[in-house]
Amino acid sequence: MNIWLIAAASVSATLILCADMCLRGTPERRLVGLEMASLIVTIALVLFTVGFGRMPFIDLPLALALMSFGSGLVFARFLGKHL
Amino acid sequence: MNLHVLEVVLLSAVVLLCWLGVIGMWRMKEPMQALHYLSLPATAGVILLVIAVLISQGLGQAFWKVFLIAAILMAINSVVTHATARAFRTRDVGHWEPIDGDPIEIVHEEEKP
Repeated sequence: MNIWLIAAASVSATLILCADMCLRGTPERRLVGLEMASLIVTIALVLFTVGFGRMPFIDLPLALALMSFGSGLVFARFLGKHL
Repeated sequence: MNLHVLEVVLLSAVVLLCWLGVIGMWRMKEPMQALHYLSLPATAGVILLVIAVLISQGLGQAFWKVFLIAAILMAINSVVTHATARAFRTRDVGHWEPIDGDPIEIVHEEEKP
């Protein structure tokens, strides 16, 4: 286990608090938790990729970063207009 | 050896920033306040991560892809945060532009004589 994997595990542990935000409270708080979770998962995937030495997998966080943009905007619009 | 120490320091800072951001977000009662804590991992965190990858992998394809991820995250985070804050305000008061009668302080321009 190298330093990258330790960092990835530590960063991934913050997802527990993000899950708590997503599962409890008002819809606004849940949306903030979701946006933070997508950000944290992107960083954790980069750390895991370098930690395991599988560089082709770096495309996964790249795709997630792009997809989280769309999801964040769609949820924000939906929350503001319909929910 | 020194580069390895620097790598450890940078990764520790990334982890610390992620934890600070998440705990700050979790502790805030108002969603608008919690929204501000997204910027810690999205800006400083990813910049330090890019430097750590540069030290570890060199100027290869992996570095440029992580650089691209960091640029996307920094650009996207500001847009999504703004859109989310706008949605929160629309949800609260029905509109997002400041108008008279809002429960916020509006600074009017002084009338010229």
